[in-house]
Amino acid sequence: MLLKVLPLDTGDAGTQRCRLGPGLMASLGLRIGSPVHITISGGECLCTAWPRSDQADGFLQLDTKCTTKDLKAINFNNLSVSLEQIKAICSQKLKGVRVNVVVQCIEVKKHSSGFIHDLVKEMLRGMCVARQYIVDVSHLKTQVELILIEHIDPFCTDSGFITSKTSVNIGEIKTLNNYRCELQKSPSILLGGLEDVCASLKEILSLPLRYPETLQKLGLSYPKGVLLIGPPGVGKTMLVRNVVMEVSAALITVNGPVILGSRPGESEENLRRTFKQASEAAQEGPCVLFIDEIDSLCPRRAGSTSAPQNRVVAQLLTLMDGIGSDARFVIIGATNQPDTLDPALRRPGRFDREVIIGVPTLHQRKSILDVLSSKMSLSDDVDFVALAEMTTGYVGADLSALCREAALQAILRGSQDSQSQKIDMKHFLEALKKVQPSCLRSSIGLTDFKPISWDQIGGLEDVKLKLTQSIEWPMKFPEAFIRLGLSRPRGVLLYGPPGCAKTTLVKAAASSSHCAFLSVSGADLFSPFVGDSEKALAQLFRQARACAPSILFLDEIDSILGSRSDSRAPHSVQARMLSVLLNELDGVGFKVQERRGTQRESCHLEGSTEFQQEQQMDCQEVCNQDVMIVAATNRPGALDSALLRPGRLDQIIYVPPPDMEARLAILEICTKRMPLESDVCLKELARQTILFSGADLENLCKEAALSTLQEEGMDASSIKHRYFIKSLQSMTPSLKGQQIDHYQQLFTS
Amino acid sequence: MSKPALMSLHQALKRSFHSLEQNHKVWNSVLEECVPLMGSLGNLAEQLLALNGVQMASTPLARFSDLQDRLRCKLLVAVDTILDKLADKMCSLQKVRDAVGNQVTAAFQVYEQHADTLDLTTCLQRSAAAPSVADMLEWLQDAERYYRQQYLRRKALLQALKPGELSDLQNAHRRWEALATPEREDSVSDTLFRVSFFMDSP
Repeated sequence: MLLKVLPLDTGDAGTQRCRLGPGLMASLGLRIGSPVHITISGGECLCTAWPRSDQADGFLQLDTKCTTKDLKAINFNNLSVSLEQIKAICSQKLKGVRVNVVVQCIEVKKHSSGFIHDLVKEMLRGMCVARQYIVDVSHLKTQVELILIEHIDPFCTDSGFITSKTSVNIGEIKTLNNYRCELQKSPSILLGGLEDVCASLKEILSLPLRYPETLQKLGLSYPKGVLLIGPPGVGKTMLVRNVVMEVSAALITVNGPVILGSRPGESEENLRRTFKQASEAAQEGPCVLFIDEIDSLCPRRAGSTSAPQNRVVAQLLTLMDGIGSDARFVIIGATNQPDTLDPALRRPGRFDREVIIGVPTLHQRKSILDVLSSKMSLSDDVDFVALAEMTTGYVGADLSALCREAALQAILRGSQDSQSQKIDMKHFLEALKKVQPSCLRSSIGLTDFKPISWDQIGGLEDVKLKLTQSIEWPMKFPEAFIRLGLSRPRGVLLYGPPGCAKTTLVKAAASSSHCAFLSVSGADLFSPFVGDSEKALAQLFRQARACAPSILFLDEIDSILGSRSDSRAPHSVQARMLSVLLNELDGVGFKVQERRGTQRESCHLEGSTEFQQEQQMDCQEVCNQDVMIVAATNRPGALDSALLRPGRLDQIIYVPPPDMEARLAILEICTKRMPLESDVCLKELARQTILFSGADLENLCKEAALSTLQEEGMDASSIKHRYFIKSLQSMTPSLKGQQIDHYQQLFTS
Repeated sequence: MSKPALMSLHQALKRSFHSLEQNHKVWNSVLEECVPLMGSLGNLAEQLLALNGVQMASTPLARFSDLQDRLRCKLLVAVDTILDKLADKMCSLQKVRDAVGNQVTAAFQVYEQHADTLDLTTCLQRSAAAPSVADMLEWLQDAERYYRQQYLRRKALLQALKPGELSDLQNAHRRWEALATPEREDSVSDTLFRVSFFMDSP
């Protein structure tokens, strides 16, 4: 039999009564006013049984004055209760209870604790309570809102009545806000790869809380502010929420747009109110005032001309100075553009510490992936180390998007053969194609190209080897590089006559290594505004460093950069670009905010496989921290000599015009998809095409095929040798012997 | 049988209702007496506020150097007197509350004693002359709760008054009046009307 739950009569509110039909009361053996225990909507509730005044069975009305914490719904719409959920309990009179009290505001807690005892005792009289139950007395409209029952005496009973003889002990008095904060404590968010930052933040927050005497003895003032700096999506906001939750502090968030009002002075008022709220909360326990996107609230005053904006900044500064050293609240600001902040904000006393969260490194990516996938069902072939290596430049948000995408792929694919809903490595690889790293999204250098394998380039074996050495080996054999004290070359310059596959070589190198690949040409960089081009180049380098290891490809570098010895235009854009590039390649250092994951110590036992894997990852990281520049030009003479010294573009590779064997290989690759007559002798062709570049040879094959179609009609089935000879006669090589000599002597003399 | 049990329970209920009737009159009269007291408390607060606001030095009374302090002292003494009187009233309210509370507890104890012999149907039986036992117990409990809540809230209001916060003091009588819950008060009177036949029956 099911009982329909009806809303409570207004007269019964706050009486702890539940109204049952007389038949049900008789069957449960209940007397008038005897206690019942009701399990309803996820929680439990203690009531006293009373017959319905209309004596109808089949309905239940209950007053939720005394419930457990997890009872959620207060209005039980369309709810039914089965008989098993209602139990009669026998209760005795209690000797004593210990309670915690939740009051409305902090003043009550301070001033009238003696009176609260009388109040609480009076409120509890006649009630039936049990351990860990909450008595809601807010309907009485006094200062006391809730009474939490902690202990009851005698200990062995589960529940009992409080009479006038029951002694009431008050343990703790909290305010309603504090209590709600504690309730909201959801299962903590796991963070991957932010342990050290997390620890330092936790230290700042918990020091004043745990060792207040020590700090006072040392005459220390508490740290007041922390500025979190990091690119978008690395988890700044999440970090703060996590830390706040762990030290169980109250969190007050400030959003720029909410603070800013339209009336003059409104924004300042909002700001003051928020700070007041924070300091009130801080009187009860640690409190964090979190200002997200602080750059929107506090931009540089010098640059802006708007007076209201400046007033807000000034107000914020004043408020931050006004925090007393006894107030236990910490301001945490988060931004991704620390340069746009007002400099006055970034000094000790305001933001004492600046914590930089960089784009995650390999280790951090692995731990982020581990954390993200902890709730996913994965098949055994998913290799997170490989995945972490592939996801250079991905931040936490990207990685979570990746995992989501992979799960989606699994669902979409899984519906076709729905035996096991598990996420495979192939789902991750599929997702990897769709999710681009967010730090590259706005970059000018991001290019989409068709991957090319080394085999698609004929000849040039030693050039290929050199390129693999400098690009692929540091990625694949990092421990060998470390062992021999080798470092990865900073830059590679490819030079050689036009049409000899310089660009194609770089493409092949990029597709064979799992690097982020950025490619720029002059068109991307040059701008009509003075200084804009340099800024764009510097920005490009910053992005490339953020997702290191990465390859930055500058095609036709001679047109982007001039030579300083070129006296025609001493202060041209090209010269300025050159100086930027030289600095970026081998400058004093990087900007502070580009710092990435700190040095970590390994605590694994030596010899285990995990340790070896860790070590491999360590090597990988040490070896591949930098951006590698690959430049290509066919006018190496026009380059500045400073660019060509070791440490900048230290590998200078000559891409020669194809020799006899290379030409044969190129011809073979070009004619792979062409039906050739048996009389075609590619060797013979290769011998005759001295000074032909790769592009020329490709053109030759195209010409031969075209003339076949022209001569034999559209249904020609194969290309004869004479067409090759014919097109060969009509073509002249694009390279000249003199030109090649010039290239060869350039860096040898 | 349950007859003698029911009889004794009815007797207990009758006693309780008689006591309730008397106490209710006392309660209402005490509350009425409180209203002018609260009013004069508000007046005194207003006078204190005015005293704080006035610049004594710029009035012709500047010659009486400690006039302001004396006035303040006088007003504060008056406030104290009124608060004392209110405390007395609260005492009588508490007495009413305790008397009703004891009677109701006694009635419930009698019910508890005879609960084994009284089955639920007997308790739920209503007649033209007498309401059912369950209803009467409920009404008694409601009345007791009414007194307790009223006493609690009025006491809390008086406790929250502080000499420093004059505007609070000034508004106290308004808040005092807002504490009254006429519908609950009416329900107590209704209860007394409903049981009048029962009380008169031998």
